Amino acid sequence: MALPSELRPDQRGIARADALALHLQYGAAAQAVARVLGGESFEGARSAAFNTLADPRARSGARSFAFATLRAYGAAPALLERLLHRPITDQVLLALLQVALTDLRANPQHAHTLVDQAVHAAMGLGRGAARGLVNAVLRNYLRHRETLEAAIADIPAVQYRHPDWWIRRVRAAWPDDWQAVLRVADLPPPLTIRVNLRHGSRDAYQARLAALGLGSRVLGDAALAVEPAVPVDQLPGFAQGWCSVQDAGAQRAAALLGVRPGERVLDACAAPGGKTTHLLELGATSLVALERDPLRAARVSENLDRVGLPAQVIVGDATQPATWWDGRRFDAILADVPCTASGVVRRHPDIKWLRQPGDPGRFAREQQAILRALWSVLAPGGRMLYVTCSIFPEENRERIDAFMAQRPEAVRLPLDDIPGGQLLPTADHDGFFYALIGKPA
Amino acid sequence: MPLLDILEYPDPRLLTVAQPVDVVDDDLRALIDDMAETMYAAPGVGLAATQVNVHVRLVIVDVSETRDQLQVFINPEILERDGEQSCEEGCLSVPGIYDTVTRAARIKVRALGRDGVPFEIEAEEMLAVCLQHEFDHLEGKVFVDYLSRLKQSRIRTRLEKRARRR
Repeated sequence: MALPSELRPDQRGIARADALALHLQYGAAAQAVARVLGGESFEGARSAAFNTLADPRARSGARSFAFATLRAYGAAPALLERLLHRPITDQVLLALLQVALTDLRANPQHAHTLVDQAVHAAMGLGRGAARGLVNAVLRNYLRHRETLEAAIADIPAVQYRHPDWWIRRVRAAWPDDWQAVLRVADLPPPLTIRVNLRHGSRDAYQARLAALGLGSRVLGDAALAVEPAVPVDQLPGFAQGWCSVQDAGAQRAAALLGVRPGERVLDACAAPGGKTTHLLELGATSLVALERDPLRAARVSENLDRVGLPAQVIVGDATQPATWWDGRRFDAILADVPCTASGVVRRHPDIKWLRQPGDPGRFAREQQAILRALWSVLAPGGRMLYVTCSIFPEENRERIDAFMAQRPEAVRLPLDDIPGGQLLPTADHDGFFYALIGKPA
Repeated sequence: MPLLDILEYPDPRLLTVAQPVDVVDDDLRALIDDMAETMYAAPGVGLAATQVNVHVRLVIVDVSETRDQLQVFINPEILERDGEQSCEEGCLSVPGIYDTVTRAARIKVRALGRDGVPFEIEAEEMLAVCLQHEFDHLEGKVFVDYLSRLKQSRIRTRLEKRARRR
């Protein structure tokens, strides 16, 4: 039956609903998740998977579905293990089922629509032959929901939403805090900005945000959480460098290194340049930004342009100073080394899918090599701040202990309000490790 | 998922009396999915399998404003009728034509759902109108049949003309 014209749903409304159709968002989310299952990072996967969605709100919806699926980690796979008679090898189909199950678990009251949209999504993904399977799996879940949920509830990967090996390590390293640490990884992170204090005070910027109707909360000397989050181009003066997006925990780095005008400063492993620009904003006048990946080095240059402060960007490998170093030693070095990123999972939930149990050890070898190499270019009387965004001791305390044992002359300098150097992740900041090491004059 | 072609009045296939559904299986559910997409795209608030040239006793409706409350009726029967209401109706098989039809105000319906599970509901207002309209299709009936002979022949002429122009 068709409705008479005066009652007919608004035509524009229908067109909008089509562009925002749930099944399109499911489909795009499934493609992104499938790439993560295949070992790609979400950031890389997303641009390819989401370019079919014309409407930015649809892209944002697809991102939410993918994030929810990646965050939940263990639940959908555990359910599928019980719902499928044989494993699915098609990663896109598998990812679609995970996306749909994650959404169904959260919104069982819309079960009919969600199942219908998941079946539509299977068609849209060229998995038409599997639409019966998608329908059957999701309906079987709904039919046996309580039994299934009870059966998986006690599985650690379901309960704590991380891989088993990860849970074991966090528990061993942080016996008092492990549950809180794992739980924080599920929270949507705030949009945290760093106010460029050269352009005015933090409080003045907060007032500027308020004048635009944007709420914010103080998280640090220059750190504000903008709540609710807005696209960065809506932040006053963003393009002119009045503020940058940076987690409050990451904002600690430049101040802990404490640069003074005239000092020669090295930011090793600089991309994307958040800490580089911060060092400059805090008064560094002679700064070398080193980055191994030429494409990522370009992002450092872009950020420098935006903030309008000069630094020398060099493409080079921190473990091989002979290939890039001009022979002049540095007074201060920021060594923000490559790591598992286990402290920033709430911003990058794909990390817990991509990392393998051997990864902390693999990163540790590279971290050790970087520490050794940078020590050789540090001036006597100088200092080096070692930074990771990890919570695994193999990459943090154990690296520094090992380094100190090899370099008896090195002095571990205190970081007063971060005992032990480990900033565990909380709702207000990501997880970081800091160690400040001095070289005697 | 493919959009299905909708038969247009006075196509004689719309006069077919539909057969009961024997089994509610994945093939039938695939048809339901295709019909739902067709109905939402049209846009319409109800669609009978007859209208997409599948002559089984299957009807889908969604009278919600949010367009997310699909209801499926397989082998429907009207158990009770009560009262009277007149409502302006249109039909995806009779495009562009709207006219007032008088039907029962409240009905009680028994049918099978998408899962093949029987259920009963009581419907009134728009849902009652829509269900009676769609169930008529399964009997080979179109809402135009309720109108005067004169109106019927005008509508027929208009739609035949339009069909020739296409």
